[in-house]
Amino acid sequence: MARRASSSVNPWWVGGVIILVLAAMAGGWGLYKNVSDPYRTLMPLDVSAYLDNANSLRGNVYKLNATIDTQLAWAPLEGRLYSVEVNGRSDVLAVLIPATFNSMNIQKGQRYFFKIEVGDKGILRVRDIRKV
Amino acid sequence: MNLYNAQRPTLNFQRSTNRVSALNVERWTLSVGRFLLTLFFAVTAVAQVPDAPQASQAPAAPPPTSNQPAGSSAAAGPKFLGKDAPIFDPANEIVAWDGHSWNLNNNRVFEARFEKYLNAPEETSAQAQDYQTILRTILDKLSPEKVSIKNIDEAFRLLPRASNFDIDARLCDALADAVYSVWRAQDASQRLAQANEALEQERKANEWNARIASQRTKLEGVPPSKDKDAAEQWAKEQQLARDFSMQPYTTRLAEILATIKANQAKKELTTLEAKIEFQALFLQLFLQRRFQHVLIGTRFYRGIFSSGESKLEVGTDMKDLFSKSTGMPPTVGTMDALANEAIRDVRESIQSFRFLLQKNELQSASKRLAEAFSVGEFLPEVRTLPRDEKRRVLEFSQKNYQLISSIEVKDYGLAAKLVKELDAMAKDFDESKPLAAIETARTVSGMHLAKARNAAVSGDKATLEAELKQATEIWPRNPALVEVSGLIFSQADVQQKALVDLDQLISQHNTRQIYNDKLRFIAAAALYPDRQEQLKKILDQMQVIETAIIQAGEIEKRADYAGAWETLEKAFKENPDDSKLNQMRATLTTEAAEFVRTLRTAEQLEQKDEIGSSLAWFLKARKLYPASEFAQNGISRLVKKVLPEP
Repeated sequence: MARRASSSVNPWWVGGVIILVLAAMAGGWGLYKNVSDPYRTLMPLDVSAYLDNANSLRGNVYKLNATIDTQLAWAPLEGRLYSVEVNGRSDVLAVLIPATFNSMNIQKGQRYFFKIEVGDKGILRVRDIRKV
Repeated sequence: MNLYNAQRPTLNFQRSTNRVSALNVERWTLSVGRFLLTLFFAVTAVAQVPDAPQASQAPAAPPPTSNQPAGSSAAAGPKFLGKDAPIFDPANEIVAWDGHSWNLNNNRVFEARFEKYLNAPEETSAQAQDYQTILRTILDKLSPEKVSIKNIDEAFRLLPRASNFDIDARLCDALADAVYSVWRAQDASQRLAQANEALEQERKANEWNARIASQRTKLEGVPPSKDKDAAEQWAKEQQLARDFSMQPYTTRLAEILATIKANQAKKELTTLEAKIEFQALFLQLFLQRRFQHVLIGTRFYRGIFSSGESKLEVGTDMKDLFSKSTGMPPTVGTMDALANEAIRDVRESIQSFRFLLQKNELQSASKRLAEAFSVGEFLPEVRTLPRDEKRRVLEFSQKNYQLISSIEVKDYGLAAKLVKELDAMAKDFDESKPLAAIETARTVSGMHLAKARNAAVSGDKATLEAELKQATEIWPRNPALVEVSGLIFSQADVQQKALVDLDQLISQHNTRQIYNDKLRFIAAAALYPDRQEQLKKILDQMQVIETAIIQAGEIEKRADYAGAWETLEKAFKENPDDSKLNQMRATLTTEAAEFVRTLRTAEQLEQKDEIGSSLAWFLKARKLYPASEFAQNGISRLVKKVLPEP
């Protein structure tokens, strides 16, 4: 019987394809990350500094990626006060979501991007909010 | 003749005189018993002599110079046996005399004499027997059926011999002296009688001479019959001459008659004095309970005095003593009968004593012996009683006297012990009376002590003192009294010390020590409302701390250190000075360090008015310990600041 001619793929090609695919995935993920963070131009809040001395950060605007924990208070004209767990930390912060965002349904466990301003007496006042 | 026979003549005499009826004899005998027991006390106090003879009974004595009746002269001064005659009440063995009372069995004088007697050996020596033989011989010779001048003289000669014995105390000498005095008085009376006979002869001679002289005057001439005046003159001269001739005889006759009368008075007085002296002697012997000597005296008296002279010349008081006690007037026969009755009574008491001793009935035996001794101390039946028999009642008597003394001094503890011993010693010992006294005293004293305790508890010092005083008066040596007094006074000391300690601990804010000794301080402050209020606050406060500590302990067991710490922290905020709380809090602070640090940071930031940061820390603390009240409270406070309620 006659031997069949060999038709196997070159392994170098296979390896190159895999690398390209992975590179494409990493690039896509990186692109996604940059494109999905609406406040990518803002500095994330230095939670540790905030906890140590909030006055030093007063007037600054930061971004905060956090998960809704509990609603601490609600005032129809003033807004809602939530405790949020900072992603990647065990710290819990209190953020005041003004009444302008009353239309949003904010519930426990939801993750948000907050654009926050360190206000008077270190109160974190939300200036914008995006759901992740 | 022995003493048994000695009383027979007297009893015969009693029958022959028929002065008492058969029914009266029994009453008389009982009275004699009372009288004899009364005598013992009468004789120990007063030297017995009869009153002075009344003026009407002593012709030679000067008549009373005032209207004061004879015999009442003693009313101004001390009377015989005091103001009243002694009376013995056999029901309770008490002698009442001159407003005082003595118990027959509880008399210091009697007690001493009786104990001396109980310890003395029996008088059974040859000397004592000789003495009794002499006395019996004397009595025998003087007995009514044998009495004669010869026997009286022989009996008289035996008196000095009997007097030589020490036990006689020279009483037989006194009797001999009395008999001799009577004989001397009788001799004097005899001489006065002879003198009166001579005077009577002279009186008769004078009367004859006077009569002859008067007749001789009539024979000298005849009066002239014619001259009437001359005849009258002659008659007068004749009468004058007769008077002159008779005057020496009539004068002498009057003198003789006066002398005779004076001699008769002297004779009567001499005899009366001798009789009174003799009566006084055996009356004294009777009161001294020398009954054998009384019998000798009365028999001598009957032998040397004529019949019908047996009435005793004694004073009113002595008469009352006899008549009230025996129902009979005092006579020699009465004395004789009383003495014989006393001898018989003593003999019977001794027999009774011996019988009771055999039956081990020591109480009755000792009473019978005491009665026999009190009446017949000098009688041979009493003196010859063996010392071994007497010693058996000595211990009983001593304990009995000790019991009486212990009850008198209200030592009821000792009295109860003695009652038990006496009850075991004598099967007839009547413990009811002493036990009743003891138990009554114990009960009443106990009641007062209970009141004293209550008063002490309620702080009523006046009642406490009064009740303690009464309890002490009733039973001074009550062991419970000492115990209660000590308790009360120690309580007072403890109370004062506790109050001082309480004040000191309050000033030091050492509430923990106050709480540890709370029972002591509660008791001490019970009487002081201000301190009580202060203590109540402290104890309430400590109760909160203790509750927190217990709760923390339980929470700690579940490894909930933050919860345990928070429990203590709440108590600590109000009671920062409690050492135990601080110690446990410090331990739990270490155990729950992160939570505590978080909470502290939150609080510090809150104080700095950094609300946002502070709120974050409180939230973190709540995350660490979700049940934390401190965290929740902090969150609530800060939330209100962030979003004030409309």
